[in-house]
Amino acid sequence: MTATKDYLFNVWNSLTTTLVGMKITGKYLLQKPITVQYPDERLPIPDRYRGIHYLEQEKCIDCLACARACPIDCIEMDAVRHGKELEWISFTLDYQKCMFCELCVYPCPKDCIHMGTEFAFVSFDRSEFKHDLLSFKGMAKEARIRMKGAEERKKAREAAKAAGLPFEEEPEAEPEEHG
Amino acid sequence: MNVPMSAVERSNVFYDLLAKFAPAGVPTWVLALTAAGVGVGILITFVSVLAMFSVWMERKVSGHIQCRYGPMYVGGWHGWAQSLADGIKLLSKEDLIPLGADRPLFMLAPAIVLASIFGALTAMPLTPSVYFADIDLGLFFILAMSSMTTIGVVMAGWASASKWSLYGAMREAAQVVAYEIPLGLALLVPLLVVGTLNLREASELQSGWYGMHWLVFQNPFVFPALLLFFTAALAETKRAPFDLPEAESELVAGFMTEYSGIRWSFFFMEEYAAMFLMSVVAAIFFLGGFESPVTHLAREQFGADSPIYQATAGFVLLLKAMFGIFLMMWLRWTLPRVRIDQVMTMGYKYLTPLALVCVLGAGVWEAIF
Repeated sequence: MTATKDYLFNVWNSLTTTLVGMKITGKYLLQKPITVQYPDERLPIPDRYRGIHYLEQEKCIDCLACARACPIDCIEMDAVRHGKELEWISFTLDYQKCMFCELCVYPCPKDCIHMGTEFAFVSFDRSEFKHDLLSFKGMAKEARIRMKGAEERKKAREAAKAAGLPFEEEPEAEPEEHG
Repeated sequence: MNVPMSAVERSNVFYDLLAKFAPAGVPTWVLALTAAGVGVGILITFVSVLAMFSVWMERKVSGHIQCRYGPMYVGGWHGWAQSLADGIKLLSKEDLIPLGADRPLFMLAPAIVLASIFGALTAMPLTPSVYFADIDLGLFFILAMSSMTTIGVVMAGWASASKWSLYGAMREAAQVVAYEIPLGLALLVPLLVVGTLNLREASELQSGWYGMHWLVFQNPFVFPALLLFFTAALAETKRAPFDLPEAESELVAGFMTEYSGIRWSFFFMEEYAAMFLMSVVAAIFFLGGFESPVTHLAREQFGADSPIYQATAGFVLLLKAMFGIFLMMWLRWTLPRVRIDQVMTMGYKYLTPLALVCVLGAGVWEAIF
């Protein structure tokens, strides 16, 4: 008797469990996919993301603090001083070595080297990974827009603080173009 | 040359069209051969387009079930041309034949697989009056022809001289032997009710009740038989959860392991054509065939000979068949693959006795009511 019961239970069980499974997959079938179609749409990158560096060349004083702080010596810079003026020759960062630890950012006395938000860095030639930061090549247009936005927000925040007003954070503007 | 052409003349809309427009004096056998050629051309085109569409649909369905999009770029709108691009790629790929393989058998196997499924598809009516061959033993013919794919698969597995292929082929043979019985028995149930093996006639006999006089509603044992048939058809067409002959996680690609390029894609085409065929058989012998309220309305409004009615009927059948294919895909991405002993258990211990019970019950029901 139990054998018959087991047999019928198996039939019933296989039917119902299949239906349960189909209900679950059917639910996912109708739901919107969570895929982000990457090159066409991108997730917002946080401001403190450690991507490819950018350098504010006019602030930099060629003090080598970042190069010394770098644990793997991937920063090299060269400049000639004419009185108060600096003539830049090179400021290179070798991304074959760089591990994006951000240790070069903290010791900077002028706060002029930053980590950007650009991360896609592909090349067919190794020499291209030695990046010239002077030409601002390291930063995509998007990152520059973000940087500008962040600076404006910072200024507004400080102004509001000085005036003693509550500051309302505006949502970050989406960049229109991609680098 | 005067060959009695009664069989041909009776059957075919292509032949009728050719006879109408051909100049007088053309012998009948020329017309018959031309009609056959046209039919083959249409069939091959139809199956290729169907396979391409089904592959795209499969990728979309699987993608969305897994919260992905599936192909999105090729061709613009939701990657509709992805299968086309893949087909071109497969055509241009090298046709590898392993050194240890049995060359003639290896080359013949995909042809046999594809030819048998094409043969089975000839018995399928496209609309109530457009068909390739109007066979009185249509269903029997379809079952016989579609079982012949097994020979091709076993041939492919044996000729490949590869362990994976041989395992896959042996599994296919065991599986088909196990599931041919419940498949046939489950089909006996609607046959008991409708009383014909001819697909066109079976569909015709289901008209009435405003096009809802389907066989599943005529006898309480037809619906369980439909479930049994669907399960057996899944195993018969090597679809997951019964895709043991392919079993990509254990046997690389089963009997297709050593195949490449267009020969490989022939096996794929066969799989989707077989799915379509099984869905059409299910639609005609269980779910009313051409009949639906829309078909009924079209027939009432425009008459049985009007092209509008024919097109509606064909479209309804295609829709039902596509729904069957969609169900198979849904199941594939829901259930995990079962073990070979579980497949055997299910075939011999569950489906066969249950199908027998259904046949008995349907027979008794028909005798009483």
